[in-house]
Amino acid sequence: MNDLCADIGWKSINHYGEQLCGDHVDIVEQSDNSTVIVLADGLGSGVKASILSTLTSKIISTMMAAGLPIEECVSTIATTLPVCSVRGVAYSTFTIIHLINNEIAEIIQYDNPQVIILRDNKNYDYPKTEMNIDGKKIYKSVIRLQQDDIFIAMSDGCPHAGIGMEHNFGWKREDIIEFMETISLSGLTAKNLSTVLVDECDRLYGQKPGDDATACIVKIRKREPMNILFGPPSNRDDAERMMSLFFSKEGKHIICGGTTSSIAAKYLGRPLEATLNFEKSDVPPIAKIEGVDLVTEGVITVNKVLEYARDYLAENEMYEHWNYKRDGASLICRLLFEEATDINFYVGRAINPAHQNPDLPITFSIKMNLVEELSKCLKHMGKRIKVSYF
Amino acid sequence: MVIQICVGSSCYIKGSPEIVELLTQAIQEHHLENEIKIVGSFCIGQCNRYGVTVQVDDEIHTGITRENFQEFLKDKVLAVIKNEGK
Repeated sequence: MNDLCADIGWKSINHYGEQLCGDHVDIVEQSDNSTVIVLADGLGSGVKASILSTLTSKIISTMMAAGLPIEECVSTIATTLPVCSVRGVAYSTFTIIHLINNEIAEIIQYDNPQVIILRDNKNYDYPKTEMNIDGKKIYKSVIRLQQDDIFIAMSDGCPHAGIGMEHNFGWKREDIIEFMETISLSGLTAKNLSTVLVDECDRLYGQKPGDDATACIVKIRKREPMNILFGPPSNRDDAERMMSLFFSKEGKHIICGGTTSSIAAKYLGRPLEATLNFEKSDVPPIAKIEGVDLVTEGVITVNKVLEYARDYLAENEMYEHWNYKRDGASLICRLLFEEATDINFYVGRAINPAHQNPDLPITFSIKMNLVEELSKCLKHMGKRIKVSYF
Repeated sequence: MVIQICVGSSCYIKGSPEIVELLTQAIQEHHLENEIKIVGSFCIGQCNRYGVTVQVDDEIHTGITRENFQEFLKDKVLAVIKNEGK
């Protein structure tokens, strides 16, 4: 066990005029630290390709996660996939990245563009072993993971980008490597890296992709714990215990809530200073306590964070709102969505008398719901969440 | 004189940004920049059904709204400063 973890993100674009994507990415968590990622590219495009790639990736990821050997996965696919009536073959190429204990990555490749590995932001040439399974040439590599390793798996729609248009012979592997070496320096998340790569393919295709193009990126990063305190404990006597647990934890500390922060300020023996900077935003100003990384107001701010979280998981359109602003909600988003990998919630169940007012859009149940919904969203982002109630 | 304006959840919803703006304007109009310091504060623990909680030095006033702001300014701020000046 080490302190590494994987940030996984992918994006696809469809063949011009197609509703369905012929590429499919499937991610299965085998255990806490082991994950199977399969990128499959079905023959052709449209419905047929979509079915082939979905079947392939689902079968492989499920079988691999159950611990079956690659030979069996391949022969299962060969015998199960429906045969194309036009071409007379059942065919879907695939790339498997199997992360084991966050220590090694086993890469198995069949006819997709070779996985690019960036180590220290430079292309890393890794050894491959050729295997022959049922007449198929399959390459296998085993790589010991290092912090900041970036794995880039693609469907052939990426290197084919721009054939006959921008680039006569497509977007060459060397050029993709050069492009990604530059982009990777920016510290973007895996999701954003894959978005940049696929958007570039789309541009080269002149927004009319001649093939489905998919990039799946795995970024190996250090675990980053983060602690967030929200609401005072239901029993006053628990305040001391709650604070000492919260402040003894490793990582950054965020405090949400007015009463909560005054309890924390008292515990630390430091003054609580609220700022009056409303900064064209719809959440209350933040405050400062020496020794705490971020102090914000409670329900209104967290409600905004939840709104951003839901968008990030869907269209990712509000990114430009929270990626630079200095208001409480934006600051929390950057810490939780981009920086943190393990988040500990310390939630107090006290009922705020100020909220027991029919005129206010805040109720106790909303407050508890906020935490539940937010931790659900964060889990979807691949974070590990622990919630303790007081 | 230190004036603390509550920016906690409850007061925020009832308009503390507005009160901060009104107060900042009033200070400029009356040229009191040297006499008054405005600071924010999280919940003072006096949450009300209407208006914002404002603490002037040690005295807490609740329910300040846009409507009664001028009255508050006259009685609780300007009058106090005048007294102190004597």
